[in-house]
Amino acid sequence: MGHAQAEDTRVDWEGALVQRARGGDARAFERLYREHAGRVYGLCLRMTRDAQLAEDCVQDTFINAWRALPKFEVRSSLSTWLHRIAVNVSLAKRRKATPVEAPADDDGEAVSGEWLLETPVEVEEIETAIAGLPDGARDALVLHALYGYSHGEAAAMLGIAEGTCKAQLHRARALLRERLGVEVN
Amino acid sequence: MTTDESARRRVSSLAELPQSLEPGRDLWPQIEARLQEARRDGAADTSRTVTPRRGVPLRWLAAAAMVASVAVGVWIGRALLPVAAPAAPTAQHDNGPGTAPWLNRPSALDAAYVSDPRYERQRAALLRSLQARLAALPPLSREKVMGSLAAIEKAKQDLEQALGKDPSNALLQELLVNTYQDEMRVLTDVPEASSSGRGI
Repeated sequence: MGHAQAEDTRVDWEGALVQRARGGDARAFERLYREHAGRVYGLCLRMTRDAQLAEDCVQDTFINAWRALPKFEVRSSLSTWLHRIAVNVSLAKRRKATPVEAPADDDGEAVSGEWLLETPVEVEEIETAIAGLPDGARDALVLHALYGYSHGEAAAMLGIAEGTCKAQLHRARALLRERLGVEVN
Repeated sequence: MTTDESARRRVSSLAELPQSLEPGRDLWPQIEARLQEARRDGAADTSRTVTPRRGVPLRWLAAAAMVASVAVGVWIGRALLPVAAPAAPTAQHDNGPGTAPWLNRPSALDAAYVSDPRYERQRAALLRSLQARLAALPPLSREKVMGSLAAIEKAKQDLEQALGKDPSNALLQELLVNTYQDEMRVLTDVPEASSSGRGI
């Protein structure tokens, strides 16, 4: 079975689970949770930098998703939809905990590329460096460089202008370069 | 965040970092408990997860809670009241239940959320049946039913009005559907109670 065919099967299976969950089937929703919880938690943890807060965010994300399932379009990506909810929940929880950070200027240069490291670095060291970034820069970096969302998608999720998102990525790259001591391209 | 082995792994691109991380414990039991709690309590639980930006005014939640309590009140009243023989309407109700303002209002049926013709047919039949059978109920029971349906109608109007301003609000949609279901439960129960002579 080719990759595309496997993907179709997975999507069909997921669509069927969504339909059953919409009908009130909690077991179907649990299977969706099992499928997506890790990626949602990874995103929440990187945005909040607090394991307990991230767990709360995961719970709220799936509770909100359950309630909003009737308006979810089955043909769209459940993963992206869950991530949007998770970002909203994480931002809201973080705002409660810390003051809002002033947004960066919208004049950032376009940041593209694959975020390649000139020299390989240990995962833990990179995660620590990412965790140490300012909130805005870290949010943009996590969504764009780790989860593969475009500038526009990441900006929309974060509720900021695309130019602001690019500026934050530019800032994140400079700070990572400084903290890791390697070139980030 | 990661196991020792995966933490020491060297990567040469941020895209190689794991997207999926495992929480320290299984979060599903708590999620499931909250889902069950939300089902039981209707809207009472929702205030915990609605963000301020998309927050629903407290009065809508109160309206939904009122509907739930009304429905419960009907059931409790049915259980506690003694069985009474059908009584003739009192002078206060001489005009008959058909004069209740909510009975023939088309607003609820016009809602886009209830577009299934089977639902409309069933509701219309129940309303016809209700008008005929309300007169056979004891005055106290009749009063309870009419009060319940009036409260439900008010909640529906409020929710429909709110949805007119925020049509994609999933919480309001859910509350409205729940309210229709509450109405259907009351409408279904009245004819049964009346025909069995139990009262409500």
